[in-house]
Amino acid sequence: MTVDPDVAKACCVTSYSSDLVSLLLGESYHPGGLDLTRRLLTLLECTPGQRLLDVASGRGTTALMAAAEYGAQVEGLDLARANVALAAGAASARGLADRVRFRTGDAECLPFADASFDVVLCECALCTFPDKPTATRELARVVAPGGRVGITDITADRDRLPEELTSVAAWVACVADARPTAEYLDLLTDAGLVIRSSEDHRAAVERMVAQISARLDLLRMTSRARLEELGLDVDRARPVLEAARRAVEDGVVGYSLIVAEKPCA
Amino acid sequence: MTQDRDEVFVEMTRSICPVCKEVIDGEVNIRHDQVFLRKRCAEHGEFEARVYGDAQMYVESMRFNKPGTLPLRTQTEVSEGCPKDCGLCPEHKQHACLGIIEVNTGCNLDCPICFADSGSPRENGPDGYSITLEQCATMLDAFVAAEGEPEVVMFSGGEPTIHPHVLGMIDLAQERPIRAVNLNTNGIRLASDRRFVAELGRRNRPGRPVNVYLQFDGLEAQTHLAIRGRDLRETKQRALDNCAEAGLTVTLVAAIEKDVNEHEIGAIVRHGLGHPAVRSIAFQPVTHSGRHVEFDPLTRLTNSDVLHAIAAQLPQWFRADDFFPVPCCFPTCRSITYLITQGHPDDPDFGLVPIPRLLQVEDHLDYVSNRVVPDHDIREALEKLWSASAFIGTATNDERLTQVAAALDCADACGVNLPEAVTAITDIAFMIVVQDFQDPYTLNVRQLKKCCVEEITPDGRLIPFCAYNSVGYREEVREQMSGVAVAPVVPNAHQLQPILAATPYGSKRSSS
Repeated sequence: MTVDPDVAKACCVTSYSSDLVSLLLGESYHPGGLDLTRRLLTLLECTPGQRLLDVASGRGTTALMAAAEYGAQVEGLDLARANVALAAGAASARGLADRVRFRTGDAECLPFADASFDVVLCECALCTFPDKPTATRELARVVAPGGRVGITDITADRDRLPEELTSVAAWVACVADARPTAEYLDLLTDAGLVIRSSEDHRAAVERMVAQISARLDLLRMTSRARLEELGLDVDRARPVLEAARRAVEDGVVGYSLIVAEKPCA
Repeated sequence: MTQDRDEVFVEMTRSICPVCKEVIDGEVNIRHDQVFLRKRCAEHGEFEARVYGDAQMYVESMRFNKPGTLPLRTQTEVSEGCPKDCGLCPEHKQHACLGIIEVNTGCNLDCPICFADSGSPRENGPDGYSITLEQCATMLDAFVAAEGEPEVVMFSGGEPTIHPHVLGMIDLAQERPIRAVNLNTNGIRLASDRRFVAELGRRNRPGRPVNVYLQFDGLEAQTHLAIRGRDLRETKQRALDNCAEAGLTVTLVAAIEKDVNEHEIGAIVRHGLGHPAVRSIAFQPVTHSGRHVEFDPLTRLTNSDVLHAIAAQLPQWFRADDFFPVPCCFPTCRSITYLITQGHPDDPDFGLVPIPRLLQVEDHLDYVSNRVVPDHDIREALEKLWSASAFIGTATNDERLTQVAAALDCADACGVNLPEAVTAITDIAFMIVVQDFQDPYTLNVRQLKKCCVEEITPDGRLIPFCAYNSVGYREEVREQMSGVAVAPVVPNAHQLQPILAATPYGSKRSSS
């Protein structure tokens, strides 16, 4: 499948901040929820006072947790202005504005100097970046020697992906350009990082597919007309979700948590 | 050559000897992915029982353990230690979410399975008891004194509907600051006495709901005969229809026994979803206290077995992880899910969504790893919903469901106002509860200390339900109230057969 990178990126941003997607995904945009984020932050050895960058910070849930539970000094970066505004509002509301800042920016061209952070993380977003080698190199560039880079992401065995999941619309679900775990490991290694650990969390994505199906069912029951107004054909969405469910069950699609380290000198 | 044990030792606890009820040490082990409680009585030997069928679930449930709340008042002092000082004693870890008043021991059925050992008067003459209205008032007052504004009281028995003053007792409860009344019944009177049902309906009013807790073990004649001794299928249907007509909500309560009605779990859910009166279902693996058929403690059913059966029998609607442990009691005691439903299960357009698929319940109810609660209001709402006091139709339940529905919203940016769309959530919500009560084999003091379902005794004590049925309190109260000596009941387990003798009530006692 070929998709123009700019079209894909624009599509992704639009999707991720669109009403329809927030409607279907709810506030939690990545599989595994807070539990998996906590696991990631723990493996990243995030400790009080450390400088942390969250790339594709969405509405700021992870950034706020890193500040509140781990005491980190956090920068959150997201391509969508609406998300940045919402995240900043949430930080103020929680009294964390002095420890968490949000700004708009592109993961493929991070607006930070080299070696600015002790910890850099990117949850369920690398799969949507069209130029993955550049994005990964950027993660590696801004982390300080001895610092850690963590990603959680959808994995996909692209040769076995069912047809329903390879259309542009499916970019929304992060699947169409997701890679096998080995390829993520290579990306990180090629960017000069050393892999520390890699974990399989396929149950998290299984649950997320179930959650999307459930929200769709609920909306079908309560506001079908409005859904269709937003351009979602309920009857066409269902086979896509069913295909996603089967793909997870068959191991074609999964979810990985990877932690890497930038070597000292 | 050394050899490994075939089990993982996970915890040490206290239990009782199922024969003499002496307090003894117990150990919990995981073997073949299942959880077992083993103990040894110096006099009666070793006992072991299966307490949770899915070891992974058991271990994972531990984080859903909420700090207890102190009751306003306890009724006893600590002297012998748990479970001999009930209750509640000052060392109890939780207040009472649900209070039960057994109004009589008499019943219009003589079921082969009855943890209360109730029934019609036996050959040796009347030996049960009924409480008076005055006693009922004292019991309700004790509950109010301990709880302030109790969420819910349940009238049980025996069969409470054959007590001549049961409506007066409901009035007494409604005169007090008790938010909801549950009537636990076999449905025989509800099926035949529509005036009585109408009287219940009249008492069921906004802010003071009356819910019918209807014994309902299955849809097959065989099941009825095995558990109730009579084919009550038509009776149950009439009772349900009469309740619907009187505007009463009903909880179907199914006692599930291994090899008897396990296979009917899915059918019961479907039946409940299809009847207008039914708004919730409670599954209870049979408690091997009181009267029951001979059983093997090593293969008895547990909560996780019921959860897996629901998922296996209704895969189009459920997964086992749609259920979450209830944090107010010990998390392995009770699991709950809520559904939003639309239409009749037979309609092609029927809709069913388990609420836990819509939000990450564990992000809110994990009390161990969560140092930052994402949203205190949602946690509080979920705590009330995932509670032993949760009953569909109570004001608290309605409020909290609405609050959770609001949490499903996707901020202001979102084009659809989801809360508005589910304004009617309180009318379309459905609850499924799975509760495994403990018996003399499975009693674990660790769970018991946090029990939040209490039997209210005529002398004004609040005794944890599982202690009441296992340790000897039930026999003690029956003896006091009836004036007839009552022998300590011993479980009708395979291994105990050589030492068992019958009691006048159909249960077993020790022959020595």
